[in-house]
Order: sequence, then C-alpha cells, then structure tokens
Amino acid sequence: MTDIEGSPGSSMHGVTGREPVLAFSVASPIVPTDTTAKFDLPVDSEHKAKKFKLFSFANPHMRTFHLSWISFFTCFVSTFAAAPLVPIIRDNLNLTKGDIGNAGVASVSGSIFSRLAMGAVCDMLGPRYGCAFVIMLTAPTVFCMSFVSDASGYIAVRFMIGFSLATFVSCQYWMSTMFNTKIIGLVNGTAAGWGNMGGGATQLLMPLLYEIIRRAGATPFTAWRIAFFIPGWLHVVMGILVLNLGQDLPDGNLGALQKKGDVAKDKFNKILWYAITNYRTWIFVLLYGYSMGVELSTDNVIAEYFYDRFDLKLHTAGVIAATFGMANLLARPFGGFASDYSARKFGMRGRLWTLWILQTLGGVFCILLGRANSLPFAVTNMIIFSIGAQAACGATFGIIPFVSRRSLGIISGLTGAGGNFGSGLTQLIFFTSSKFSTATGLTYMGFMICACTLPVTLVHFPQWGSMFLPPTKDVVKGSEEHYYAAEWNDDEKSKGMHQNSLKFAENSKSERGRRVASAPTPPNTTPNYV
Amino acid sequence: MAAALLLVSSILFSCLAASCHGVTLSSLQKTLIVFVTASPSPGQVLKAGEDSITLTWSFNNSFPARTDSAYKTVQVKLCFAPISQQDRAWRKTEDNLVKDKTCQYKIVAKPYSPSNNTFSWTVQRDVPTGTYFVRAYAYNSADEEVAYGQTTDAHKTNNLFQVKAISGRHVSLDIASICFSSFSIVSLFGFFFLEKRRAKHSQEN
Repeated sequence: MTDIEGSPGSSMHGVTGREPVLAFSVASPIVPTDTTAKFDLPVDSEHKAKKFKLFSFANPHMRTFHLSWISFFTCFVSTFAAAPLVPIIRDNLNLTKGDIGNAGVASVSGSIFSRLAMGAVCDMLGPRYGCAFVIMLTAPTVFCMSFVSDASGYIAVRFMIGFSLATFVSCQYWMSTMFNTKIIGLVNGTAAGWGNMGGGATQLLMPLLYEIIRRAGATPFTAWRIAFFIPGWLHVVMGILVLNLGQDLPDGNLGALQKKGDVAKDKFNKILWYAITNYRTWIFVLLYGYSMGVELSTDNVIAEYFYDRFDLKLHTAGVIAATFGMANLLARPFGGFASDYSARKFGMRGRLWTLWILQTLGGVFCILLGRANSLPFAVTNMIIFSIGAQAACGATFGIIPFVSRRSLGIISGLTGAGGNFGSGLTQLIFFTSSKFSTATGLTYMGFMICACTLPVTLVHFPQWGSMFLPPTKDVVKGSEEHYYAAEWNDDEKSKGMHQNSLKFAENSKSERGRRVASAPTPPNTTPNYV
Repeated sequence: MAAALLLVSSILFSCLAASCHGVTLSSLQKTLIVFVTASPSPGQVLKAGEDSITLTWSFNNSFPARTDSAYKTVQVKLCFAPISQQDRAWRKTEDNLVKDKTCQYKIVAKPYSPSNNTFSWTVQRDVPTGTYFVRAYAYNSADEEVAYGQTTDAHKTNNLFQVKAISGRHVSLDIASICFSSFSIVSLFGFFFLEKRRAKHSQEN
C-alpha cells in the first residue's frame, strides 16, 4: 500500500520507533536502493534519500534540506527581531509594560492559525510554493515596521510577522518528500532545531545591525526601523531561492504529486477523532506548551530582562540572550538522543521519566534565573534552563510517534500549536502586568513549568505502563497490536487499512525496554494475509 | 563652628553613604536651586530635536556658606516625572542612586560654581515622549553625588514640562518599504503564473 503524498500524518508513515535518533543513513537491504536513479545520494524506490549528508548542497535532497531549514530560520529571525531592540522601541513608541507583553503574545499567536492552514496549502500547492508563499507574503509585514508609530501598530505588525512561523509545517512536509522515513526523524529534528536557533541568532544580529546603522549617522529612533529591513530582505532572498532552486519532489515538481497512489485516502474527520479522543494528546499539548512555549516566551523577554536588571549595553544583553536560543543546536537533538537511550533500557517508562526530568530541570533553573541577583549566576541558570527546556522539546517528539499511529500528523500539529498557545499564555500571565517585575515573572513561570510537567505521570500505555504503573496484565489489552489496531473499526480492518499500524505495533515492541524477549504472543492478532 | 560641623558631617555622611553600596538620594542635601525656562513658552509641549530649554542653577544661599566646598562638578539631567514612570519599570525611582533610573538623559556637565550658571539645551532627538523635570547633581572630586537640586518639588508634581519625541519615521524609509514589499509580492505571483503558463504550454505541446 503506497502512501498518498501529503495525506495527514503521511510525513511520519513508516516511522517504526526503532530508528536511532542519530541515524545518518539507512543501509540496504533494510530499504532497497534504486540503482537506476542518478542522484548524488543513494535513494529508495520513491527516490527519497536514504542518506543524510549534512555538508552537501546537492540537488535535490540536501539542497531542499538547506533551503528548508534556512527559510524556517529566517522566519524565526524576523518573528523575534523586535525582542532585543525593545529598549529602544519602547522609548520611540512610548510603550508600557502591558503593550510590550501584548506584542509578545501577538507574535506567537498568529502562527497557531497559519500553521493549521499551511498543511492544506502544502497539500494543494506543494511545499515549495507553501514555503515561498508564506515567506514572501510576510516580507511586507516585516518592512511595515518602518510605518509603526504607536503601541497598536506595533502589536499588529508583530502579529502579522508571526504568521511566518508556518514555515515549520512546510519545512517538515518538504523533508518528508525528500528523505526516507527511516532517517526522517533525524532530518526533521535537525531542521526544527536549527530553525529554532533563529530566535537566538536574531538577538545577536539585530543589536549589531542597530549599532552599525546608528554609527553610520542615524538617530536611535530611525536606526531600529532601518535594521528591520535586513530580516525583510532575507525573506525575499530566501523566497526567490526557494522558488528557483527548490523542487517539490526528487523527480520534479508538483504535477506528479497528485497522480501517485490509488488507495483511498484516510478520512480527515476519523483521524481528527482519534487524535482528540486520545487523552495523551492533550497531556502532550500542555507539556509542549511548557517546553517549547516557555522557550518562545523567553526569546521575547530575556534580552530586555538582562538589559534592565543588570544595566548591560544593548549588544551585551543581545549576546547573552542569543546563547539561550542557540543552545538549540545541540540541546534539542540531545533530548531526542536521551529519550532513545533511556528507551533502550527502560522502554517507554524511560522516555517518560527522561521527559519529566529534563522539563522539570528546566523549570527549576527558570525559578533560579528569576531569583539570581548577580550576572554570572543569572547567565548560568539561564543556560541550564535553556538546555532543560529545549531537550524536553526533543524528548517530547521521542514519545509522540507512539501516542497514535493513525493520527500522528494531527497530533504532531496539535502539539506544535500547543507550544505557541503556551507561549502566548505565559507571556500574558507573567510578562504583561506591572504588578510584578520580570524577574518575579520568570520565577513564577518556572513554578508553572514544574506544575504543568506533572501530568506526564498520568500518561499510561496499556502495553508499556507509565512512570509509576506497570503495563496491564491482560494479555490482549497489553499488546501493542491491540493499542494501535483499536484506532480502526472492524469495517476498516476488513479492508486491510490497519496493516501499517500492525507493522508499526510489531516494531514498537522495542518500547518494552529489556522485556522484549519475554513478550507473549497475544491471540487474534495474526495478520489477515497469513 | 556650626558651619564646619555641618561641612564635616555632610562630607562624612556622604562618604558613609557611598561606602554602603552607593549614594542614596535621601542622604543628599538639596542645596542647589535649579530653574528651567522653556522656550518658546512654558506649558507648550517641547518637540525633540527642535525646541530648546534654558537652565540656570546656583547655590542656595540659605544654606551655610561653606557647605559647597566639596562640590567640584555639576551634572544636569533630564528626569522622568511619575506619570511617565507608570507601568514602565525600566524608569523606576530608587533611593539608591546606583540603581535609580529616574534621570536617564544627561543635559550638561560643568565645573561647579555657586552662581551664574546657565545652559541652553536643544532637546535631543532620542528623548522619548513624556513628562519631565530637571535635576542637577553636585559631585565631589571622587565623582560621588554630594548634593542635588531640581526644578520640581519633593513629590514631583509641579513645574513639569512635556516633550514630544520624533517619530523616527522618514518618507524615504516608507517609500523603500513599499518598494521592497511590492517587489516581494509581484515576484511571487509573477513566478507562480509564469510557471503555470509554462506547464500549460508544455502540456499542450
């Protein structure tokens, strides 16, 4: 059964859960190589790359990777470009703390909706146009900063720039058309992490640009506006590169996309139903809001915090703030690696504990960051906080593929949206009111992280148990096949639609940890084709 | 005798205060009188970059004669009035002058002289919109604050003036912004329709 390109969840189809996080290539004959194809990298039968060669720009696979992650990176740069310049902008526009907080909320809220729409756009136009449309249509919003003259204009423009974060979806979608499913986990994780780094890079870039422009003779209130032209140009340049150098599929462009496959597409409302009725989905939506969400919130407030609290120069505050976002280079992949490593010994229980430990660690150091009165302590606490939060993001996506097989795409999407929602909520509660200082806000945010990470103790898989409870003793209900096949009704099962789920269930037995060998064969799960 | 005592005690006090993590405003004597006359006329909102204010400051002679013997330099600063500090913690008033953020804009620094001090200052272009008063600090040779004076009363309620900042916008920036935005949109849709046409042509051929 071939997958329809672009159908919900299809980007994760074939992910068995057994892929090591740091897999750089898939060996034949696990996935047979198509030897007739003339590509720079070994490819499978769909011409998706089996190997991930990081420093190559060869068309089409690695070129797509680089175009894709750099576009996403650019959008992060422009979404958070205002953050390190807030000390100047707040004087120019006469902003209050409430205005600054609301703008921060606005900057992460827009993408909740644009990411949902992006899935449909990629389905209709392909990921290349999806990416190009978003990045080039949000370029005017970045240039609009030169028109802003008061708080409402500022909030509106930051809201519109925030739409550009939809490139996350096009980035992941595009990778899934170019890379084999066995290495897609690493590819997507790297692209997401490197894109997120844009939130750190912008804290370095914008104060530097501002300094240069000011020294060239502009007044402060004009210099910051000119500085915004650079992210705007990056949007346009990346859009043009994507359109000219990119292609939707290894073999060419969109035309072929809709002609592939002849099996009935899975019904969207069914997939949605199984996503939203699975309680684990909502627990991870909440948790991701307090790992990715607090990362985005911190990107928005940390430079201003260091500038005000420790009386630093603008670019010094920017350098410190940048280290927060740049930790994504290694911290997020580390989280995924830690999750996989703990799964080898302890199975799913190990993954859940890893997630809880990493995220709570982040929360504790966020509390300490708010309490730190000296600069060295504050910076140290911030760095450990960043590692904890970002590794927790990586660890979350080490568990998500196992929550559901059928609705994986939607659950991933909901989780991502939860991240943005959590960010908007924390900024609204802790960084918009004048009743307490930013330092106190950070401390409260840390407490909230610790509290909102506790629900992970409630995540229970009948076949693998939870953080404290063992798997169910019932032989039928305690099998992976039962869990994943439960998402299909008998009618669908008779059509054989659940075959991929059964294959996935078989491979997911690795989540039992060291108990794999002793797993009894449950009755009534013999596949139909035997 | 009393003057000498006052002098010694004021110097001692300021040294003590300085050694306790920075001088506090409450420890300083308000021995300077500062006047500001805004031009063109008082009550009018001053435009940053255009309008100017004239300041005069002198030693308040109602204090003992030798009180100002330690004063070496005077710095005159533009300070936020309470209404401009509301909801803006980055302009907060703290008694400890090291942490105090009330006066963020330096107008002028001059060597101290008890009278005949005037300065005309054009409001700088990076001064934000707000309500202000002027404060002058007297420093000793160790560069510590030893006295001050301000144009308003202790509660900072009278004699305040307003400044309207420059917008920072320029017509040239607006035009450049529109040009680049149009370029982005036009090139996107241009490319899109061109490719569609090429695909249709190649299909027809």
